[in-house]
Amino acid sequence: METRGRMTIDAQGDALVLAGAIDEAAALHEMTGRAAAGRLTLDLAGVTFINSLGVRDWIRMQAAAQKAGIAVELRRVAEPLVHQLNMIIATRGNATVASFFAPYACDACGREESLLIDAIQNAAALSRLEPPPMTCPECGAQMAFNDFPERYFSFLAV
Amino acid sequence: MPVRVPSILIVHPDRKTQRIVQRILGVTGYTVDVADDLDQGTRLIAHLQPVLVVIDGSAVMSTRMTEFFAAAKARGAEACMTLLGSAAADQVPKILGMGAVTNLLVHPMPVLAEELTITAQKLIRNDIFGVEKYLLWGTDLQAITLTRGSQRAELVAQISEQIRSRGQSARVASMAMLVADELLSNAVHNAPVDGAGEHYRRELDRANEIELDGRHQVKLRWGCDARYLAIEVTDAFGSLDRDTILRALAKNDVRESGSGAGMGVALAYRSCDHLVFNLAPGRRTEIIALIDVRHPPTERLAASSYNVFVERT
Repeated sequence: METRGRMTIDAQGDALVLAGAIDEAAALHEMTGRAAAGRLTLDLAGVTFINSLGVRDWIRMQAAAQKAGIAVELRRVAEPLVHQLNMIIATRGNATVASFFAPYACDACGREESLLIDAIQNAAALSRLEPPPMTCPECGAQMAFNDFPERYFSFLAV
Repeated sequence: MPVRVPSILIVHPDRKTQRIVQRILGVTGYTVDVADDLDQGTRLIAHLQPVLVVIDGSAVMSTRMTEFFAAAKARGAEACMTLLGSAAADQVPKILGMGAVTNLLVHPMPVLAEELTITAQKLIRNDIFGVEKYLLWGTDLQAITLTRGSQRAELVAQISEQIRSRGQSARVASMAMLVADELLSNAVHNAPVDGAGEHYRRELDRANEIELDGRHQVKLRWGCDARYLAIEVTDAFGSLDRDTILRALAKNDVRESGSGAGMGVALAYRSCDHLVFNLAPGRRTEIIALIDVRHPPTERLAASSYNVFVERT
């Protein structure tokens, strides 16, 4: 039987790369000890799953960082985590979001894709709830944003 | 004295909705009576024995509702089913906050017809258990029994892979993972109670292995009929009660702070389209989550339906 993969943490450049499932075994709150020069940068593209126990740990990690004056930056936030950031306000903490994945669908060929959005470069459009245009990697047609912008981008409003 | 026949009472101000609901519920064979508002409904109910009351969502928040609920209960109504049009989906938190609505159906037609018919039949027949009631004939159901706590993570991953291999989207697989994980976690750790009603496994570290022998074993079934992906989780304790469920669904602090008991149930509710609780107190709790696989996220409602059924003994 396959496992969903315990969360792994790897240091790459200035970021800690998290991958796998954030659940009861994740011990995220210990990560603040790995902040450098008052900054904690997390690359979250490889996060596949987060449950309620992982959410609690995530909130504890955000609170500990805030208390210690650590600036948290989230990069390449995976869709499962975006959904939790949208569902539970406390998961956002004071973190800044540099980029995140979002669902797009191609009306022409039906392909669905999770595509990376640069939240800084597209800040103005995102504040107007306008998803950046994306091209279908399969047929080249323009893809449509595959969720309600007001729902999916709400985590950016904090 | 005339013999009163069991019936269904609809309280809804919209004539077209009255007719649609009347047609759907008429197939049960019960007499279906209609009232335009709570005042009319309260007067009418004195002459009826409704097994089921179907009521408009806006009426539920009226100050007259308590009086109407009391009258319906006194006349033998088993359940109050509330309909919420898609335009009123933002009213769900208020309705949940009342803590009295056991059956909330939020979807418009044609999904409403499916949900309404199944809900009514379950209530009328007192036959509440089984995910089959929500799936089309012939749907293949996978069944697994958990005998160790650590199987939860393995099983959730396996379900996700199988959903993907059957052609469903990553979004559906992700929602299914979360729902299955939360329902299994609830059944393994929150459901077991001792004779004094103490939840003796609730505080155990969930990262540690735990054997699930005899009554502690948890059953999971899942399947997909190309309309819904359905996940059913059953424990043999039946310790989850109606009020706890309604409090968990209504929890605002889950959204605000992510804290508190019942967070798993609240997250499961927010990650599916229809959550069903089938309760046999002291014997069995069965929770069914339905994820609509027909519609893309842009065509799905922001709110979800729920039902709480308690088996009559």
